[in-house]
Amino acid sequence: MIEVRLFATFREGRDKVSFLDQKDFKNAGEILSYLRIPREEVAILLINGRYSAIDTPLNEGDILALFPPVGGG
Amino acid sequence: MRYERQLLIPQIGQQGQERLEAGKVTVIGAGGLGSPVLTYLVSAGVGKIQIVDCDIVSESNLNRQFLHNTVDVGKLKVFSAKEKLSMLNPNVVLSTVNRRLNAENIEKCIAGSDVVVDCVDNIDTRIMVARACIKLNIPLVEGGVRGLYGYVIDIGRDYPCLSCLGYDKAKQVTPVPVLGVTAGVIGCMQANECIKLLLGIGEPLYGRMLNYDGLSGTWEEVQVKKAENCPVHGNINTVTRGKNNG
Repeated sequence: MIEVRLFATFREGRDKVSFLDQKDFKNAGEILSYLRIPREEVAILLINGRYSAIDTPLNEGDILALFPPVGGG
Repeated sequence: MRYERQLLIPQIGQQGQERLEAGKVTVIGAGGLGSPVLTYLVSAGVGKIQIVDCDIVSESNLNRQFLHNTVDVGKLKVFSAKEKLSMLNPNVVLSTVNRRLNAENIEKCIAGSDVVVDCVDNIDTRIMVARACIKLNIPLVEGGVRGLYGYVIDIGRDYPCLSCLGYDKAKQVTPVPVLGVTAGVIGCMQANECIKLLLGIGEPLYGRMLNYDGLSGTWEEVQVKKAENCPVHGNINTVTRGKNNG
């Protein structure tokens, strides 16, 4: 299984944490499509805590974390 | 006695208080995050605080930037902030920089700081501040907010920065929706991290991105790792470490 953790506004209308069958997804990009998160809205994409390209293949047990951009002032 | 209650904290005491009073912090941004950060660093008695901001107060700031009042609309934020903070604690030496930071002036601006706290509102400045802090080996407390969500992380030469996480490639969203309370929560956490770093106590949030969800009322930690090819960490020219940075 792949553990998908969504943060901030990505949680709205979606599960904060979901577990997806690794065999159904070639890479992180396919999970974004499945979750209907536009690629351009992703500010940080981490696989097991490390920055990863959207086409990085996923392995069994990986944790995918997705964050939108934030502000400050 | 002003600091009586925090002197009672075993991790602070008289020695810690003296360390706070010897500390120099640069806070970049005197807005939604900067308001709580500055207020609590001044309250705690940090010795020297440099406030950096080039904006003026506008009415749309007032839902979250509590250092500025309605009568301050149109004033420079650094002056509005300094006015309130010097009344809060006249023992703190406050200096102001009313200038837009850029690649040419950022290092000179933050040099000599024991800690830098990033309270800015755009990705490019965040990356620029991180690059300068890592080059000068100054701990950086980073925070961000969006809606009812936010995060805090500490950044250092030996620990991941936002560029390590690919954030430098993100598309800036403007204006970012923010509830004042959310900026308050995250700013308070940034002030807490800054005080910990000044005192050398506790477990700083290095390599740990602490995420706040105000809708569910939860905090979640994500452990993050340095990137091998990080453009910010790469090609660092080593300089002498600061007194509290070692």
